[in-house]
Amino acid sequence: MSLAKFEYYTPNSVENACKLLTEQGDGAYIMAGGTDLLVKIHKGAMKAKAIIDLQKVKGIDGISYEKGKGLTIGAMARLTDVGNHPDIKTKYPAVSKAALATANTQIRNMGTVAGNLCNAAPSADNAPVLMVMGAVVTLKSIKGERLVPLVEFFQGPGMTVIKKGEILTSIFVPEPPNGSGVSYQYLSARGKVDIAAVCVGAMVIMDGGICKDAKIVLGAVAPVPMRAKDAEKVVMGKRLSTELLEKLGLEASRESRPITDMRASAEYRRILVAVLSARAIEEAAKNASKK
Amino acid sequence: MQEFSVVGTNVTRTHVRDKAVGVAQYTDDIKLPGMLHGRTLRSPYPHARILSIDTSKAKALKGVKCVITSEDIPKVKFGNWRLFPETQDEYVLAVDKVRFIGDEVAAVAAIDRDIAQEALSLIKVEYEQLPASFNIETSIAEGAPIIHDPYPNNISIHRRVKHGDLEKALAESYYVREDVFTVHSIYPAYMEPCSAVANVDYDGRITLWTSTQTPYIVQCLLASTLGMRENDVRVIKPHLGGGFGAKMELRKWDFCAAFMAKKTGKPVKFTLDRVEDFEVGRRRHPMKLYSKIGFTKNGMLTAKDLQIYLDGGAYNAMGPTATFLCGNYGLMLYRYPAYRFHGQHVYTNKPPASAIRGFGSPQSTFCTESQMNIAAEEMGIDPIDLRLKNAVREGDVIPELSKIGSCGFAECLEKVAKMSNFREKRKHPVKGRGVGIGCYSFISGGVFNWFDTQYPFTATEVRVFADGTAHVLSMASDIGQGSDTVIPQILAEELGLRMEDIRVTTADTAMTPQADLGSWGSRVTLMAGNATIDAARKIKEILFGAVMAHFNFNVIHDLECKGGRIYSKGRPDKVLTFGEAVAVAQKFNRGEPIVVRGSYTPRGKGLVTPAFSFGAQVAEVEVDKKTGIVDLKKMYTAHDCGTLIHPQSVEGQLDGSIQMSVGYALSEQFVEKDGKTLNTTFLDYKMPGALDMCESEHTCVITYEKEGPMGAKEAGEGLTSPTAPAIADAVYDATGYRCKDLPITPEKVLKNKKKF
Repeated sequence: MSLAKFEYYTPNSVENACKLLTEQGDGAYIMAGGTDLLVKIHKGAMKAKAIIDLQKVKGIDGISYEKGKGLTIGAMARLTDVGNHPDIKTKYPAVSKAALATANTQIRNMGTVAGNLCNAAPSADNAPVLMVMGAVVTLKSIKGERLVPLVEFFQGPGMTVIKKGEILTSIFVPEPPNGSGVSYQYLSARGKVDIAAVCVGAMVIMDGGICKDAKIVLGAVAPVPMRAKDAEKVVMGKRLSTELLEKLGLEASRESRPITDMRASAEYRRILVAVLSARAIEEAAKNASKK
Repeated sequence: MQEFSVVGTNVTRTHVRDKAVGVAQYTDDIKLPGMLHGRTLRSPYPHARILSIDTSKAKALKGVKCVITSEDIPKVKFGNWRLFPETQDEYVLAVDKVRFIGDEVAAVAAIDRDIAQEALSLIKVEYEQLPASFNIETSIAEGAPIIHDPYPNNISIHRRVKHGDLEKALAESYYVREDVFTVHSIYPAYMEPCSAVANVDYDGRITLWTSTQTPYIVQCLLASTLGMRENDVRVIKPHLGGGFGAKMELRKWDFCAAFMAKKTGKPVKFTLDRVEDFEVGRRRHPMKLYSKIGFTKNGMLTAKDLQIYLDGGAYNAMGPTATFLCGNYGLMLYRYPAYRFHGQHVYTNKPPASAIRGFGSPQSTFCTESQMNIAAEEMGIDPIDLRLKNAVREGDVIPELSKIGSCGFAECLEKVAKMSNFREKRKHPVKGRGVGIGCYSFISGGVFNWFDTQYPFTATEVRVFADGTAHVLSMASDIGQGSDTVIPQILAEELGLRMEDIRVTTADTAMTPQADLGSWGSRVTLMAGNATIDAARKIKEILFGAVMAHFNFNVIHDLECKGGRIYSKGRPDKVLTFGEAVAVAQKFNRGEPIVVRGSYTPRGKGLVTPAFSFGAQVAEVEVDKKTGIVDLKKMYTAHDCGTLIHPQSVEGQLDGSIQMSVGYALSEQFVEKDGKTLNTTFLDYKMPGALDMCESEHTCVITYEKEGPMGAKEAGEGLTSPTAPAIADAVYDATGYRCKDLPITPEKVLKNKKKF
């Protein structure tokens, strides 16, 4: 089936984009790479009256890192560019890994990290790591702008806190704290180039072999990427051991809320949650000690 | 063995440049003036009676030019097994009943695809839903819903093979074992979804371009369903993006395009989108296999009793052949003093299964090879030694069915054992790792003529010209496997010409010689190759005669055709170029062009095939004990396909078949609910991609097949069979889980693993 008819706009500034979005009202959608939006429209799963394409908007495709402060990823920064950015690869390797784990090469060359978040799939590859690292997104509209921590961003499959007229313009990831390490783990049926059946992001802060702080976010096992708070508590303030990691895995598995679908059964997803969250914490701790 | 100059070399493949730069024309690339676009209305129910169809609103939609239901077209049943009309069970558009989700009910042609699609939504069909059956067990159970009235038990085909005294052999066996295996369906995933374009001239003759492996079959069946004469229908196969067996029948869009073109006077195109192709494209047969085998104390096979139920889906399609073949594959690799096979083709309310690369062999061989591995372990015999003891050899007779020609099976076993270091690896197991073995034997084309033609099995026409070139015409379809390269290679070799001297035209029923049933069953290289040699020899006879007379040679001279020249072996100074010889020969015959026809039909080759190929494969895996995920490390293959006509193509076939079979073994399957296929995109249909391909090491055991053209036989299709049993065996070696129901999913591994 070919695309249904819609109006197509290419504003050159965030202000104009916000204005257009408000003017067009219901049925108007923001497009970054279009790799999710156009597919949905093509399938008839979504009806768009207007598409406001951000590709010509100046100043939102940048990636910048400021030492001591953190990383800013513009809304139009492509997944490929995020994944291969030298500062991200050295300072935020798990952010890079998640970006490069998203879909395939062609989609990464078009798609953006911001788009992956706004699409709000429970399995979104980029959400878990950014959440555990305390990322904050900037939402702009004609009324001004507001900052939302990513952990509060997701509301359900395809649903976020973005209000009518708002555009996500950038993602800020704070400087990783001293002693911290991050990991991204994911698994799917096909191995390479596949949608994750389960994905896990974890960050730990280590102090002399003791896990001072731990954050775990599980993807594809609940309506939104979810914090595994009980699992985090298992390791907090403790020295990591195989037994403890196993216990953490079981706890994460218990608090996850997976469903059975075409990609995996709920039962198997729970097993993967246990394995991957333990592996994520283990790898995060290892990364912490490398610094 | 012969020495070759063109055969056996990696000549640049015909049309490969066109394909690489994207100018090669596939069916959907064809755009004709005024062309209409067709769409098909499909049943939303797995089994239902049609009470009424109202097309009035669809017909009234602006831009719609034609809407048809079964009331508008001849009610003629069709199917490939023309020799047995009772097997022909499909109407083009549903009459009274629909039998699977996707069954064709009505078709629309409109000025564009969107309008045609919209028109479908305006057709009102009233259904009365009927109870449906989605698997073998429910279909053959007492009181099951009857899917086709003539078959109240839902079994449409029985096939039996028997030799030796089975009961006695089993009773006297030292060791007997019985296993049940279930294997699933896969989607062939050709790159080009099915497509057809029809045009009708004002004299009423039809031209159909269609993505088919079998233009001649489509021509005949299209003519009979339209009530026309065969010669009034011309079928052309443009470039084809893969077939894998799934494009070897008349399909309903072929008919609808032709019929509506006739009705509207405008060209009509149907192209399936990928989702639709996933839903209604032909797929591999799921099967349930019951096998009982016996051995003597020292590991010699005594007997095999094989019963197979094929889940055929809603129609026979190529199911009868699959039923026939899986029984043949059951006895092909080893010597069975007694053998009994009973195959039953069962209707279910699912999309019809048909021929998919291997055609009954991946399923049957999974059973054979898994059981050999189990037996080897239980009897304490090395699995390779057990196979060597029982392997068929050259000259073996398969009672009442066939005789083995060239056979490199034993050598393949030895070679693959050495390459993979199989025995050592088995002796010194590494935790989480495993090696496993699987073997195959395959046909080089079938002998059984179910299409019932009056023609030879294949025919090739060759024309030669005074400019030193030749033109070969054949109905063999290049579907990506490379027959448009192999046929000219064989001709060039035989006539002493170069590849660039040969023009090749294939798969156009108005131009290329009638007969050849197309590309399936690995028949093309052997059969069309032999027909090409036959034609080339006839050309040489004509040219040699002319050269003899031209030089006034004594009749005892032997002539040779080499390097573009024709000369006497004894007087190489007396020479004409190939083109000069053609000119002389033409002048001898009042200028008549030199055109000959060669043909091939297997003679005295039994009921199975003119030649058998063989191979052995070892899989090496590493299994993640926590997730159950199988990481395929490497495949080792040794195979015997006779002479390699185009080595690079053989290699491509080999690696392609490994990739396809890795999907079959580990990740690919249809997710179905109440007869509906849920995973209809490549996102959710887990076909391994290029990055998922494992390392592959292979070697060819070279034999010379006397029945084959220049010693060649099958390559690439049989290879889809050993991979799944080899992987399953390796997984067993690593985990203690012996998979008897494909695919080997991580969940099954976790649930059933015994080691770790």
